[in-house]
Amino acid sequence: MIELKNISKSFWRHEVLRNINLNVETGEVVVILGPSGSGKTTLLRCVNYLEKPAGGEIAVGDFRMDCARAKRGDVLRLRRKTAMVFQQYNLFRHKTALENVMEALLVVKKLPPKEARGRSVSLLEKVGLGDKLDAYPSRLSGGQQQRVGIARALALEPEVILFDEPTSALDPELVGEVLEVIRNIAREGITMIVVTHEMGFARDVANRVVFMDGGVVVEEGTPDEVFQRPREERTKQFLRRITPEANYSI
Amino acid sequence: MQLDISFIWTAFRQILGAIPTTLSITAVSVLVGFLIGAVTALARLYRVPVLSQVSSAYVTFIRGTPMLTHLLLIYFGLPMIIDGLAGHFGWSFRSASIPMIGFAYISFSITAGAYMSEVVRAGLLAVDKGQTEAAHSVGMTTPQALRRILFPQALAAALPNLSNSVIGMLHGSTLAFAVSVVDINAKAQIVASTNWKFFEAYLAAALIFWGLTVLIERSSAWIEKRIGAYNRGGVA
Repeated sequence: MIELKNISKSFWRHEVLRNINLNVETGEVVVILGPSGSGKTTLLRCVNYLEKPAGGEIAVGDFRMDCARAKRGDVLRLRRKTAMVFQQYNLFRHKTALENVMEALLVVKKLPPKEARGRSVSLLEKVGLGDKLDAYPSRLSGGQQQRVGIARALALEPEVILFDEPTSALDPELVGEVLEVIRNIAREGITMIVVTHEMGFARDVANRVVFMDGGVVVEEGTPDEVFQRPREERTKQFLRRITPEANYSI
Repeated sequence: MQLDISFIWTAFRQILGAIPTTLSITAVSVLVGFLIGAVTALARLYRVPVLSQVSSAYVTFIRGTPMLTHLLLIYFGLPMIIDGLAGHFGWSFRSASIPMIGFAYISFSITAGAYMSEVVRAGLLAVDKGQTEAAHSVGMTTPQALRRILFPQALAAALPNLSNSVIGMLHGSTLAFAVSVVDINAKAQIVASTNWKFFEAYLAAALIFWGLTVLIERSSAWIEKRIGAYNRGGVA
């Protein structure tokens, strides 16, 4: 279970997150929506400390830390319980697909090479890249790169995988293959927090949708509640803007 | 005055003997300089207190003064420091026992360090920030991320500049003659003045330098091709 308590964060004077509280149950898929600048990506990055929160508490599984008093060892423990899939994939550019997935198993988990390799190969097969083991990222399409990114995150067997707009940098025709992979691992009961603009995906896969604006959680509920019967005016506005009705003529 | 072509060959063979001196000065200054450069570049990039300010001062002072001046400062300054300390602590070591080439090693390493610092810094900055973030996100410590992810990519990015620096140090090593180390150029001068055929002797030296430089360029291109292999391929 993941618990975020009173998370706050400012860039210079600008408050990006204002005392955010969010709980995610084990096996739950939570989708965070919101206009750009709402703080959703920052919140996600705080969960594995790529951004340092100014204050608040983060708990993942049996590990709990106070952000104001975080030590280097705490940050490392937190990061080893979480994994991130990046908008820009961020695959290690000088390593092949297989090496990308193996890297943390060897260096962080200290698995013997044979075991690390076996596990990595089966994960890459699972995301449909069994034939691309030795390809460098520069030789892979965006969709393939992102699937390697997902395999790399899965390899760590984290308590939660954080997806930061995983399909936003992709060509439209490649979005489907990546969403399909995410959908499949969601069905396996892996805990996920996903920041996305893919409404259809959110509706399908999410157990819960969180709508953020101006650094606060405005509204949360099941996809049905948030999409069909939003309570807050800001949510309604946002949904109207991203799912425009066809009431115009060209 | 006539060109004595056969003397070029004579000089060439005599000068060959000085190649090891030139190469050893180049190799020592490049290797030690790279270490200094790496440490100072990291100190500056990670804003390590005190060390980063010292590093910045070092880089601007050394890059702001000529290599020959460094050599002379070390040549005249170092013995004062060493003998002063030796007298104070009662060591038996005296600066007079430092071989001349030792001053060239020390001073050119300091020179190379400042230039390498900029080369390494540029290389590290060329690596996308996302690479470090990804390394951290999979649970690597900062030293692990540096060693496994950042350095290999930074090296690939820095290689063209690095080979430039090596060539610069190769050519700069001729200044060692100022403290009477006989390198390629100095040897040419000696050969020339004993025969009164300056042009021929320096031409031979130039050819040798050119050959060595081509060698450096070739090996750098070869290494670049090998460690930069991951960058090739069309799809973004």
